[in-house]
Amino acid sequence: MNALEAKPMQPNGKAKEIAAKDIVPRSGAQWTPEQVFLEHAPRVYSLARRMLGNDADAEDVTQDVLLQVVRKLDTFRGEANLSTWLHRITVNAALAHRRKRANREHREVRDPFNHFTEHGYHAQSIRPWSASPDNIVQSKETTALIEKAITELPEIYRDVYVLADVEGLPNQDIGDMLGLSLPAVKSRLHRGRLLMRHSLAPHFEEATL
Amino acid sequence: MMTCKELAELLQDFLDGELPKEYSDLICHHLRECGPCINFLESYKVTVTMCRKLPPLEMPVEMKERLQAAVREFEEKMSGGSKNSGEPGA
Ligand SMILES: [Zn+2]
Repeated sequence: MNALEAKPMQPNGKAKEIAAKDIVPRSGAQWTPEQVFLEHAPRVYSLARRMLGNDADAEDVTQDVLLQVVRKLDTFRGEANLSTWLHRITVNAALAHRRKRANREHREVRDPFNHFTEHGYHAQSIRPWSASPDNIVQSKETTALIEKAITELPEIYRDVYVLADVEGLPNQDIGDMLGLSLPAVKSRLHRGRLLMRHSLAPHFEEATL
Repeated sequence: MMTCKELAELLQDFLDGELPKEYSDLICHHLRECGPCINFLESYKVTVTMCRKLPPLEMPVEMKERLQAAVREFEEKMSGGSKNSGEPGA
């Protein structure tokens, strides 16, 4: 039995894709707010959008984070691990934003272990998936499907899921950010993955003949 | 024999190689007998791999412009202080 090929908790190198990377100074005091924007706004937005599930809230949080960065530009210049720092303030801002609107989401938390019968069998037929991850993610439509499935995750699993499996942060960092123990992070991540698998299955399973 | 549900509960630890041998043996034994669980395990792995490859979400153009303006305005306020704005009272 071969184990998971991709190492679960390695960062996925998303930062490398940032278009502004080449024009922004790596260190020193040359950072301008404009450069802060170019370098960080897309990542902050992307994380906030996935955590909060809609553009209006993501915009509020992105603006909040960017202004914090500009305000703390001196601290920011000296920060050794910018990416971690930025993740942290984005997560904090998103959580604070969500708390302010705590009455908005009353979604029932789905239990992925309900997808089994009382005797422990799969409640639905589990067919093989046809496409490989490479094919799947290259298509715009399927990317949208995956994003929709993420948005539909209960918040309690979504935060951990996004930080771990999309952003590629280590479980320990996620626990620190969200105030969760390591076992709690792992458990939420596993449940988030099971729910994601369940949501995506109808789209990716091979058609029955 | 382990049930499919029990296998699903242990799947993450199994794939992370964090399961005691007696349990991973039980899982391997179950997988030899259960086609659905093989599909389940493979699709779980695909789900994980797939999401790691998601591109960042693209910010809508108008939002980008609004945010850029907000950052610029904030910077001007910070660097210019109140010296260039007229006194509100007078
Ligand atoms: Zn089974």
